[in-house]
Amino acid sequence: MQPRHNFMIAVSALTKSIATSTHRVDILKGIDLVVPKGQFTAIMGPSGSGKSTLLGLLAGLDSPTSGSIKLDGEEITGLSEDQMATLRGRKVGFVFQAYNLIPTLTAEENILLPYELSGAGLGEGRKRARELLETVGLLERGDHYPVQLSGGEQQRIALARAFIGRPPILFADEPTGNLDSENGHRILELLITMNRREGATLVLVTHDRELAGYSDRIITLKDGRIVADEIK
Amino acid sequence: MSWRSVFRLAWREARASAVKFAFVILAVAVGVGSLAGVRGFSRSFQTMLMREARTLIAADLSVRTFTLPNDAQTALMNDLERRGIAHTWITETISMAGFGEGRTPILVSIKSVDPTRYPFYGTVKLDPPMDFAGSLTPDVAIVSDDLLLRLDAHVGDSIRLGGQPFRILAVMAEEPDRMAGSLNVGPRILISRQGLDRANLIQTGSRAAERFLFRIPQQTPIEQVRTELKKVFQESLIADARQAHPLISDGLTQATTFLSLVSLISLIVGALGVATAINAHLNQRMDTIAVMKCLGAKSSQIIRIFVVQTLALGLCGGVLGILIGVGVQLAFPFLISRYFPVHLGVSFDPVPALQALTIGMLATLLFTLPPLLSIRRIKPGLIFRREMAETKPSLKQRIRQSGASVLAGTVILIGIGGIAGALTSGTWKDALRLGEYFVGALTFSLVTLSAVAWVLLRVLRATGRRASVLPATVRHGIANLYRPGNHAGAIVVALGLGVMFTLTVYLIQHGLIADMFRSAPPGMPNVFLLDIHATDKDAIMDLLRKQPGAERPPEMMGTSPAKLITINGTPIADLKLQGFARRFRSTRQVSAFGAQPPYAALESGKWWTGQPATPEVCAAEDAAKTLKIAPGAELTFTMSGKTVKSRLVCVTRIDSIHLAGRLEFIFSPGTLDGLPVIYYGSVRMTPQKVAPLQVAMYNRFPTVTVVNVADVLRIVQEVVDQISIVIRFISAFAILAGLIILASSVAGTRFRRIREVVILKTLGATRMKIAGVFSIEFLILGAVSGLMGSLMATGFSSLVLKQLLKADLKFDAVPNLVSVVATALVAIAAGWLASWRILGQKPLQVLREE
Repeated sequence: MQPRHNFMIAVSALTKSIATSTHRVDILKGIDLVVPKGQFTAIMGPSGSGKSTLLGLLAGLDSPTSGSIKLDGEEITGLSEDQMATLRGRKVGFVFQAYNLIPTLTAEENILLPYELSGAGLGEGRKRARELLETVGLLERGDHYPVQLSGGEQQRIALARAFIGRPPILFADEPTGNLDSENGHRILELLITMNRREGATLVLVTHDRELAGYSDRIITLKDGRIVADEIK
Repeated sequence: MSWRSVFRLAWREARASAVKFAFVILAVAVGVGSLAGVRGFSRSFQTMLMREARTLIAADLSVRTFTLPNDAQTALMNDLERRGIAHTWITETISMAGFGEGRTPILVSIKSVDPTRYPFYGTVKLDPPMDFAGSLTPDVAIVSDDLLLRLDAHVGDSIRLGGQPFRILAVMAEEPDRMAGSLNVGPRILISRQGLDRANLIQTGSRAAERFLFRIPQQTPIEQVRTELKKVFQESLIADARQAHPLISDGLTQATTFLSLVSLISLIVGALGVATAINAHLNQRMDTIAVMKCLGAKSSQIIRIFVVQTLALGLCGGVLGILIGVGVQLAFPFLISRYFPVHLGVSFDPVPALQALTIGMLATLLFTLPPLLSIRRIKPGLIFRREMAETKPSLKQRIRQSGASVLAGTVILIGIGGIAGALTSGTWKDALRLGEYFVGALTFSLVTLSAVAWVLLRVLRATGRRASVLPATVRHGIANLYRPGNHAGAIVVALGLGVMFTLTVYLIQHGLIADMFRSAPPGMPNVFLLDIHATDKDAIMDLLRKQPGAERPPEMMGTSPAKLITINGTPIADLKLQGFARRFRSTRQVSAFGAQPPYAALESGKWWTGQPATPEVCAAEDAAKTLKIAPGAELTFTMSGKTVKSRLVCVTRIDSIHLAGRLEFIFSPGTLDGLPVIYYGSVRMTPQKVAPLQVAMYNRFPTVTVVNVADVLRIVQEVVDQISIVIRFISAFAILAGLIILASSVAGTRFRRIREVVILKTLGATRMKIAGVFSIEFLILGAVSGLMGSLMATGFSSLVLKQLLKADLKFDAVPNLVSVVATALVAIAAGWLASWRILGQKPLQVLREE
């Protein structure tokens, strides 16, 4: 086994429970997981198995009930919300199933948003945004609003946004879930190509085995536990 | 993140919500406009008072007193005259003016001047134009235009003053010291001093105001003259050209504070609307905020973006408000023109404008603090797991959250109290007290309105659900009130607050007048006779007794001015007298009675018998209580220069229906012998017989002023109405702000409404039916606001009338009903204005876009 500091993501004994107004639900029941740098990992499982929750916890979007999560050697479970936001801005890129572009910003402004939030100079950012727009084939659509773009185009903009800050980790939650198969494949190919070029560690949540087939490793969750971990 | 990025993101985020934010800007603008208008007008008025101070008193210095000048005063004025300081004497009084044979004389204000000297500054303009100094001969009168209207007279006709004919020379178009004058009752007449002497209206002790105007050469310091005059005119009001007129200035300051607070209410209603709109906006932006947090934004960065956005909206609203304020400022001179003929012209003063702008932005920020701070509570994970938003927060979290709400509420109240305090002009203690009162009353109103709104809306909801007998349009209309993002409660509170305030002003105004008419005790005299000379008193009593229509025997009483100097050897100046009690430091009217009148009840002591060797005095119960005196006390008075030592022998209580009920001190007979005594009479007549009495009195005793109480009440009513119009004009801005909030909320739910319209159309609803549903919704909002506003207004006005003005409010359904109906109608109008064109949406087009 490699020493832990070589891992981009290291999770141990992770649990997550939520209390609704009527009862308590254990979503994750003790997850141990390490993801080396540069690996493309797919997390699979049926609906309600806890895969999106796991992704959310890995990205520090929610706090676990117990356990530890390290990103690039840094323990994130004790971090405050703002510290976590800063860390995300520096190290994490996101691609969501529902694209989650900001409807009031144009495509290019959406791509630039993480750059602006990090306080970096816009000149460099604009150049990179144009490059990314070109990579995703939407250079001419930079001034369009999300509502003026198709689902596939919106997801391509979301991909460009995820890569703008050159994050070492990329989380993708069912990125093709809202798209037809042709657009879905196109997005996945783009994601993999761009990820190779940028050299990020990619964690993909999907319930589509075909998509997962592109990954280096498939982790299967069921009822909040890892039931299979296949490395190719 | 740099401030540039913050501004850029705030702008990008706001441009998508232009229509919604336009209403927010309007809501702020209304309050700021009202505040900027009030304070702008006040400042330009104050500036004018300062700039025109010399013209406004028509002199460098003026002394006003209510007694004829004594020897020392005359000597000083003559001495000043020798030193080059010219003076002129103005007498203002009220009297009767007769016109034509057998017609009822009317009560008029008379001002007499020496046209060769008056005015020292400014000019008297006449219509038709003519030279004032050369035209005002002893046999002519210059009149205000309302006299011609009341008497149906014309220039050139002859009126009678004190029985003497005066030809109407011209109408008074402009009079420089009009605002500094006094005794402004009824139409005004200007005559010369010789004319006044000819009319024989003034005797020693007559009720008149004397003004002495001085023209001081430039090399003589005004202060020096003022100091000299102050020594001999101790009880007089002295104004000079270096300051704004103290009486007008004080009145203006108080009115400004009051109207500023009324404007602040509009501003608060607007700010409530802004808070509601921002809250709705942030709710719609929850996903955006969560995404931004996912992408690395800190809560503080996002709050900064929305704070900048809110402040920018406040700024835009403030700037628009300043423009509205200019309009308000221009409207003011018209509203007060009857009593203050001011021509301020168009001017823009940046100070009140900036003040209103700052207050507008501050109030906006204060009220949007809670929704803005709630940004911290939006979790980035919201994007992944919707149910996270619905998880029940732990008790600890809930306490923490409610603690934050309480803290935000406290900050808002302290902030509003601070603003209210800052709008006053007194000491910091006054400001603190006023801030506390304002916040207390505001909190009480908001809490009560919110509670009542909650109950009413709950009842409506239950009714709408269960009452299947109601037509579908009504049921849908009621259901629409609970549409997500509709803020029915907030609208009702905001609009209700506006209605409440405006109606309260109206109810107090009418309640006060109605109470004055109603509450006069039975038998209260309705005719008063002023300025009766000793020689005429018996003949007048005789006339009164013989005159038909008297419901009670007439009364007559002679009074003389007296000033209390010491009580048991202690100078009155050393007594701690506050408020109204300070009147005992000034000259009062006293009388002397022989035997105890049957209506005078003794509280303590014993009435004198015959004529005591040394003066004895009986004090009114209220005077005895205020001065803390009891029988046995030694009181020293000065009466027309004579010192009178007297012993208090009794304390009496006299019903106010008697003339003596107004006296504070009644002396034993003989005390006033040799002093100037002027007599007053009173009688209760059947209303129809008052005019014949006035005619009969005027024919025989033209110098006696016969006051018909009904006329005075009408004049009081006119003044109260005028004040009330100004207040209602400003408070109507609060209603306007409430309507804008309604429109803003409707505009905020525009897309939901469009969707409903197309679904209803798809299901077969006609335009008419859909219009009915929306109209019912707006109607209910308006009617509930109107109902709550009128309920609260009735409560508030009855409290104010009872506690502060000691009057009773008689419930009148009409204004309340009118408020409810009018609010409902304007709410329908505002609602439709904001949902313009939604009925014309084509279903397929909308459904395809989804």
